[in-house]
Amino acid sequence: MSELSELAQKLLGDGSVKVVIGYEEGPRGVRPVFVTDPAQAGKLIFDTRCVQNLAAYLNPRRQHVTKLGKAAVVVKGCDARAVAGLIRECQFKRDDVVIIAVRCGGVVRDPAKSPELSIETVADRCAGCEVREPKLFDHLIGTLPPRPPQSSQREDKIAELVAMTPAERWAFWSDHFERCIRCNACREVCPMCFCVQCTADKSRPQWIESSPTPQGNRAWQIMRILHQAGRCVDCLECERACPADIPLGLIAKYVAQAVERRFDYKTCDDPLIPAPMGSFSTDDEQEFIQ
Amino acid sequence: MPKMVSQSALMVSPLDLAALVINLVLANVRVIAPVLAKDNPEQTDYLPIRGLEDAVLGGPLPRRSLKEFFLPASEVLLRYRQGKKDVEVEEVRTTFPPQVILGARPCDAAGIEVLDRVMGWDYRDELWFGRREATTIVSLACPGVDACCFCTAVGLGPDSTKGSDVLLVPVEKGYLAQAITAKGEALLNREPMEELSVDAAGVDKAEALWKLAREKAPENLPPIPPTMPEWLAKNFNDNFWNSIALRCHGCGACAALCPTCHCFDIVDEHESYKQGVRRRNWDSCQTAKFTMHASNYNPRKTQIERFRQRVMHKFSIYPRRFGAILCTGCGRCSRGCPAGMNLPEVLGQLVQLAAAEPQGGSQ
Repeated sequence: MSELSELAQKLLGDGSVKVVIGYEEGPRGVRPVFVTDPAQAGKLIFDTRCVQNLAAYLNPRRQHVTKLGKAAVVVKGCDARAVAGLIRECQFKRDDVVIIAVRCGGVVRDPAKSPELSIETVADRCAGCEVREPKLFDHLIGTLPPRPPQSSQREDKIAELVAMTPAERWAFWSDHFERCIRCNACREVCPMCFCVQCTADKSRPQWIESSPTPQGNRAWQIMRILHQAGRCVDCLECERACPADIPLGLIAKYVAQAVERRFDYKTCDDPLIPAPMGSFSTDDEQEFIQ
Repeated sequence: MPKMVSQSALMVSPLDLAALVINLVLANVRVIAPVLAKDNPEQTDYLPIRGLEDAVLGGPLPRRSLKEFFLPASEVLLRYRQGKKDVEVEEVRTTFPPQVILGARPCDAAGIEVLDRVMGWDYRDELWFGRREATTIVSLACPGVDACCFCTAVGLGPDSTKGSDVLLVPVEKGYLAQAITAKGEALLNREPMEELSVDAAGVDKAEALWKLAREKAPENLPPIPPTMPEWLAKNFNDNFWNSIALRCHGCGACAALCPTCHCFDIVDEHESYKQGVRRRNWDSCQTAKFTMHASNYNPRKTQIERFRQRVMHKFSIYPRRFGAILCTGCGRCSRGCPAGMNLPEVLGQLVQLAAAEPQGGSQ
């Protein structure tokens, strides 16, 4: 039995947790699994296809999961940023969750395809990864695999966007947002979208058209990404869920880089470091106040 | 086993098919076919074409189904304007210029026929039927199944003609075209075509391919028994629902991709303080807002109830009311799910549970 399965069996067996949220081999690649019976702990796996950010299931909006009781969650270093984000923003306390962090050598884009990591298959977020050895955990397992292939695909695309004129950039995004059908899948899968009442759902008054029109789509996407500034953990679950295949990870990264430039802040796995939008500092740039 | 391709089928050469497309386009008929996706060369989308060379016939299943050509993701129902005394209402046209869908997957064509039943039920949806009447659907027999397909479980197959006006079967020298409806016949008789003898060897090859597909698809899910709708209704409160959808985020990508999910929301949107539009937009039962009452009470409180609703509507409520399963087994929900939910797997579990139960049901 693997180190992961043994740990899960122990945690469930001694009653430390009621459920272990991990990964299993599904009918179509790797997928999330919820183990409540210690005898089932053997089905837990971890490999390069463990793409999904399981911290999303700790989001209090996942009531069907949170009602199972105290959870242990399997995270990669990048996913730990979402756990830290949810703690930072008071969605639960540090002691409410057991974090099983796995040393990670990168994941592929598509959990339903081959586990082989290459420059073509590696997930965008593995480029420049600094958290292969996670820092936020109760249990740290596995041995540190080598660094994954470093793809510059997204950086190159961002460089192209930066080089564009504002009108060209507007046209680029308008073209993508035109395909949006306002299904809200991006919001629903997001670990950090936990508002009980999203502004986009408000009807009295209605701030944003709910229809998929160019105007409403742009308003929705811009609002969502601004609300994610300094909060987005770059797990790309939104991009994977989007039935219109809009490159949401690209705009998220673009905004994250702006936050880093302006506030010297990167979304991190330390819940005690305040996020720029949730804190005030006299050192904040204020040149926009004339 | 009888030949699936009727002896009355017509051989159409690729040149004749290309000429038909050009003549349709020149006559201002919108021709829609699978084309390579702009943003992903491995995928196709149903989009208007200007010639047959734009189309990818027999390629992968298009990303989205055909439903948007009959029920757009958003459409205007009426426009209103505050006049001096009353509100002036401008209705939209419910007749549409002709369009032809070429190379539809049989599962996508079937979805449209399944939806005719609800669209013409207590109220005849003029916009739906306006587009239906203006459209001729030319399906192309399916080239093969993958691990998510289960059309045979819902009574369809790779050469199903449900919802199609014409079925095309690709053979070596072109296509065997079989008119299914009068509309399909009219399309095939529109242009004079070269007389070709039926490619008998090609037909045998196609039959062999479908035989393989018919054997492979049931491995993903065996046929759903006819007792399923009643069994599901009886087991609405069973415990198995609590564990069946834990990984589901409720994002609703499945509903957006589904050829038969047809729920919509109607909204009035102001364009200025004096005028506005009433639109209907796709909606999904997978989100909390779908059943949220004005009082803030939600009868479908968690994803457990919402996922159950999706299964119930497709495999119990709709079949009991309209005599047809609200699913064509296209598998888009499983391919598009970011959390690895797999509908044939869930249905397989339900079929097993139903079979294991003593006769007479659980109550």
